[in-house]
Amino acid sequence: MSSSIGEKCTQIKQEYDGCFNSWYSEKFLKGDATPKCDDLFFKYKECLLKTLEEKKLDTLLADARKDNPFPNSAASSASPSSGSSSESSKKN
Amino acid sequence: MVKFYQHTSSFEHAWDNVTYAFWLRYPNPFASHVVGCDVIDRQVDPVTGVLRTTRLILKQGVLPRWGRGLIKNPDAYIIEESEVDPRTQTMVTRTKNLNHVRVMQVEETQTFTVHPENPKWTQVKTEARIISELKWGLTGRVEAFGINKFMDNSAKARKGMAHILERLRQNAALAAPATAAAAGVAAPDC
Repeated sequence: MSSSIGEKCTQIKQEYDGCFNSWYSEKFLKGDATPKCDDLFFKYKECLLKTLEEKKLDTLLADARKDNPFPNSAASSASPSSGSSSESSKKN
Repeated sequence: MVKFYQHTSSFEHAWDNVTYAFWLRYPNPFASHVVGCDVIDRQVDPVTGVLRTTRLILKQGVLPRWGRGLIKNPDAYIIEESEVDPRTQTMVTRTKNLNHVRVMQVEETQTFTVHPENPKWTQVKTEARIISELKWGLTGRVEAFGINKFMDNSAKARKGMAHILERLRQNAALAAPATAAAAGVAAPDC
């Protein structure tokens, strides 16, 4: 399994990835988008946000996403440094 | 300098498997420079059912000698955004570099759809823009390097995906389809 950019986050990341992979193939692709991995994603993101701030990647990311929004994305996802994004998004 | 690039290719694997492999593609033997990959955001649109994901990828590369005056840190951060629509069986991905943008910006968009000639295959249309605004006579060399690097990276990316897809196929051959996904979880992923 691939590592996280933040070494301390690798373990929780891989737990989340395992959950997502199962959800993606067994649920999402079959038409069931009910979230299953929100708790794990929340913990993973908590760790990740600290890493992004330490490496000063949070502003870099936020700027890149603002400048040139991905086609078809409605009101694009919240910036990574915003605490509310991890609570409000439905992740799987 | 702006260069455009277009390419259409295919995988002899079903769209479901190809999009699944997309999440699992790192690490693979063709992507040795990828040292980290994280999901920054992920949501399912409640209206359209589209899965939107943003990932951050860290690559540690080696600079050519002439590049070392331009770039101090060979760490490259790439942002990858994607949308997967299971209803239309369309996945669109976009990657671009976050740093070193003054030297070069590379933006690649890929669209994965069911192959028009074979429903068990997947077609991939790739479009890329390579932009460099360097002056002082460097642009030509940077441009050539950028294009060659991009073509190399595209080829490696295809090989990496094909590698992961073959592993998934082998795992599926050993297990029933419902558990093949779980077996696939044991494969490397990002």
